[in-house]
Amino acid sequence: MRVITFLSLCLAFSIADAQIQAQTMGPPETMPAPGPNWFMSVTEDAGYVFDASSGEMYGLIAISGHTPAVQPSMARREFYAAASYYSRGSYGERTDLLTIHDFENLSPVAEVDIPEKILALPFRGYIGLMSSGNFVGVANMNPAQSVSIVNVENRSFVTDISTPGCGLIMPVDNDGFMSLCGDGTLQLIQLDDAGNESNRVRSSPFFEIQEDPVYDRPRPTRSGWLLLSNAGKVFNVTTAGTRIDISEPWSIVTAEDAAEGWYPGGTQFHTIHKELELMYVAMHQGEQYTHHEPGTEIWVFDLAEQRRVASIELEIPAAMLMVTQEEKPLLIVGNTDGETHVYDALTFVHQRMIEGPKARLFEDL
Amino acid sequence: MNKNSIVDKTYYWIDETARNQALRLARTLSRRNFLSRLGMFLAGAATLPLLPVSRALSQEKVQEIGDPKSCDYWRYCAMGGALCTCCGGSITTCPPGSETSPITWVGTCRNPVDDRNYLMSYNDCCGKPVCRRCFCHNTERDRPVYFPSNAGSILWCFGTAERTYHCTVAVVLSEASTD
Repeated sequence: MRVITFLSLCLAFSIADAQIQAQTMGPPETMPAPGPNWFMSVTEDAGYVFDASSGEMYGLIAISGHTPAVQPSMARREFYAAASYYSRGSYGERTDLLTIHDFENLSPVAEVDIPEKILALPFRGYIGLMSSGNFVGVANMNPAQSVSIVNVENRSFVTDISTPGCGLIMPVDNDGFMSLCGDGTLQLIQLDDAGNESNRVRSSPFFEIQEDPVYDRPRPTRSGWLLLSNAGKVFNVTTAGTRIDISEPWSIVTAEDAAEGWYPGGTQFHTIHKELELMYVAMHQGEQYTHHEPGTEIWVFDLAEQRRVASIELEIPAAMLMVTQEEKPLLIVGNTDGETHVYDALTFVHQRMIEGPKARLFEDL
Repeated sequence: MNKNSIVDKTYYWIDETARNQALRLARTLSRRNFLSRLGMFLAGAATLPLLPVSRALSQEKVQEIGDPKSCDYWRYCAMGGALCTCCGGSITTCPPGSETSPITWVGTCRNPVDDRNYLMSYNDCCGKPVCRRCFCHNTERDRPVYFPSNAGSILWCFGTAERTYHCTVAVVLSEASTD
């Protein structure tokens, strides 16, 4: 009997062994065509590509801890990330680069050396893709402010444009970009075909830096840029040739709201759906100088009619908002617990939480 | 006796007296003794400004209360960053091995003890990894990054050999003029 049992077991193992084929690793995945509602969550060391519709992650690009923001170019299927690197981690020889990552493999495919003075903290306005798609601007400070221009077509550094008293990059038509200035004005710099400065103009002062400064978080609109002041004043800015047009301001805060102490605030605290002309703003109750406080509510504004159309109460305050530019948009919300949540941007129904490291910025793809 | 003669005689008397005194000292004191006394005199002169009386006369000390390791400490009203007081440094000195940035941003903070406003200089300490302790984000009179002198959201490691941010100190520069 024991012999039969032993032989049966040997036979069983033999059959099992014969049925299992040893698996081999396949080639790494490549990126599928980007779908609607795709976005990048930019963290301290990587840019994670997610589909907000499903919550699926597709891959990531490697960035430095000294990368202020990532600039996508979906037309060229590339990502641009300016970064500082130190030869010994936190010390040693410094190298500043604009790294170009392809979309198919999310891998670095080219590097362009730029002057060693880029700004490191996360501000979306520290990098900008010019309208032709051939030039990327990177904001510098040493502590004089300037903008480095890189030609991403032929992968070369072009020039360093001095912008004394002005910072941030707001690309406009004809390879121009605006910057906000500490004297309450806007500056428009236009580039020639080679990426060098060809013209520079300055607006008249339209805000007072000490009384109510315009946030350093401008947002693009369908025709230009929207600027929001700490107290909630809205300016629409457009350009026409060498002219800068600044609208009459309106306020997102009514007298009643102001009496209750409502202020906008956070980091990436407002976002605009360009076609629907809807603006989502993280709002909190506080006082002057609480402009970085996260929002306990999200207020939704119809920009065409200049009025609030909805408000959403949050259980956990939100510091970051990004609306996808789809017909049925989704609202990506980063809260103070470091979580990323997805809402229907029109019904405000919560759809999902996306697990991942705390985001510094969200970028629509 | 004319005027020139009187002047000459006076000079002669001074010279002669000084020479005689020097010779008397040389006869009674050894060279080592002289150097010793001269050294004591010079050391005493150098120490004089360090005495409390001297310091009290030269500058007014700011009276303070509170915990310099807390974000609520009055000096930090416009400071964003890690407190060097929690990272091996002090309110005015960088932690070991880090480098003080000479270029800073400034804020104006009210001292609760004397209810006066003081101009603060926030100096970053550089060349080491970010000290991930006691991180504060206070924004009183904070301005946007395109107005750097009052912007707390900028890493201020400029003019240093190493440019990485470590932590921040808060130095009182002066009493601020009234608003």
